[in-house]
Amino acid sequence: MPKKGMMVVVQKGKITMTITIGLVCFVLVYIMFIQFRVIEKTDIAEIEDLREAELTEKLADWKTKCEELEKQIKEKEEKIDEYKKSAETNEEASELLEKELKQSRMLLGVTKVTGDGIIITLEDNEEHEITATLLIELINELKLAGADAISINGERVVNVTDIVEITSGDIIMNSGKNINSPFEIKVIGDQTYLDSALNVKNSGFADKYSKIGYKIKIEKVKDLEIPKYNGKMELKYIK
Amino acid sequence: MVLFSIILGCIIGAILGSKAPIIPYTYSGYLAISIVAALDTVFGGIRSTLEGKFDLKVFVSGFFGNAILSILLTYLGEKLNVDIYLAAIVVFVGRMFTNLSIIRMHYLNKFTKKKEVAKNSK
Repeated sequence: MPKKGMMVVVQKGKITMTITIGLVCFVLVYIMFIQFRVIEKTDIAEIEDLREAELTEKLADWKTKCEELEKQIKEKEEKIDEYKKSAETNEEASELLEKELKQSRMLLGVTKVTGDGIIITLEDNEEHEITATLLIELINELKLAGADAISINGERVVNVTDIVEITSGDIIMNSGKNINSPFEIKVIGDQTYLDSALNVKNSGFADKYSKIGYKIKIEKVKDLEIPKYNGKMELKYIK
Repeated sequence: MVLFSIILGCIIGAILGSKAPIIPYTYSGYLAISIVAALDTVFGGIRSTLEGKFDLKVFVSGFFGNAILSILLTYLGEKLNVDIYLAAIVVFVGRMFTNLSIIRMHYLNKFTKKKEVAKNSK
């Protein structure tokens, strides 16, 4: 039989032992269950064939690839930024170009234009017939007076325009379009300037010819519309 | 008392273990080897209890020591490209069988002795 003091020691030892063994069991089962779940959740069929080293190698491979791709993305983004910047400047340039193009087209006569101007009406009468030379003289004078755009009976006068009299009283312009009296000449330009230029005493077109007996009418019109040139415009010999 | 604490420990461990976060598959090998080492120590403990030589210090140090040592050895094997964990498993499982057989013998002996005592008393 153990003595009383020994009994207390044994009792104390028993309690620590109980707790310790309980703890040990807890740890063991805890770890085991974690392992069970790890194995359960892992797609073993896929991984089983590969050794761990291979897997780590693969992982490292993918990681470097990922890093590389990230670097590439960064580079591309920088490039995009650059392009965006240059695109902005390009836009300005292209706007300017477009403006210039628009102006050039208007000057060339391949677009319909509107603006304030005057309409001159010439009509044949018993005494005088309007000739091509007369029309050319008029157009010349209008150009001198700063006309932006001119049309005769709806035909735009451009730099390749020809006005020719085939037989008396039969005038063609713009390579074959017949025009007949009454001639309605639309001009866009400074209204007062044009008007006064035509009416200069003795040398202005209107003044000079109306004195002789031509029938000339000039009226100022707002928002005059002049159609575009319809014919072909091409360079054949200029190199 | 001890039995009760064992059961309680197992139940709590099972509950918490089934809710614990999953570790990566790479480390599950280490976990497995440590479980085998711990199980070996547990059977060793049961055997020594039956033989009346049970020592708590030896048991606890063996439990954790073996587990940690086996993990370290497995890690070393990984680095050396040698499957050291196989050797550890052979040793641990071999010892487990030895211990189990000793436990079985012990109970068999007890059983036969009881029978003999019963015969003799008749």
